[in-house]
Amino acid sequence: MIPQLVTVRYRRPDGRWLRLYVPVLPVVAVLSPLLLLAVLAGLVACLATGMSPVGALRGTWQLLWALPGTRIEVDDGQTALLVSVR
Amino acid sequence: MNEQRRQILEMLAEGKVTADEAERLIAALEREQPETPQPGAPRQKPRPKYLRVLVEDNSSDPPGRVNVRVPLQLLRAGVRLTSLIPPQALTRINTKLSESGVPIDLTLLKPQDIEELVDQLGDVTIDVDDPDSKVQVFCE
Repeated sequence: MIPQLVTVRYRRPDGRWLRLYVPVLPVVAVLSPLLLLAVLAGLVACLATGMSPVGALRGTWQLLWALPGTRIEVDDGQTALLVSVR
Repeated sequence: MNEQRRQILEMLAEGKVTADEAERLIAALEREQPETPQPGAPRQKPRPKYLRVLVEDNSSDPPGRVNVRVPLQLLRAGVRLTSLIPPQALTRINTKLSESGVPIDLTLLKPQDIEELVDQLGDVTIDVDDPDSKVQVFCE
């Protein structure tokens, strides 16, 4: 399953939390023209460096597919950052 | 020991059944419940899905904490990406590693080997305990 929601939480030094919920599919849909350009640039880079474009696309897709469940939490006492992919 | 087996043994102790009868009863009981696992038998462990890294730093005030959970599937996908590195790049990496005193030949590292390594990560537990900090790496 591809990621559906990325949650970013940041605790500022004053103790207040900044929460950011990013719905992946709508954001991808909005940014699709830029993503298309990025994919094309990536394909050109693959051809220039001798990498397999199909393999790179497949690998990137597998990475995206495996992202749900990732959770990174860093807390230094004053500030904290939590990134969660669902 | 389950209840029925205990009853048979109690009947044997009280002399209500002979040893042969008790043996036959227990054998019949085992035939009825072939799937019942023995209490001391090792159970099949569920396959781990995540790699967890926990770091607690108590040297500073307030203490710091890092908690990372990465799906093992993500590690596998990342490992597969390394197979896309072009051979000339691997040669350059090998040269630089040798110059740095790390004589590792990355061209000998096959994706299958790395995938096997990731598969075996489930049994890995690293526990570093220091008065000021604590690091735990394990799979769950």
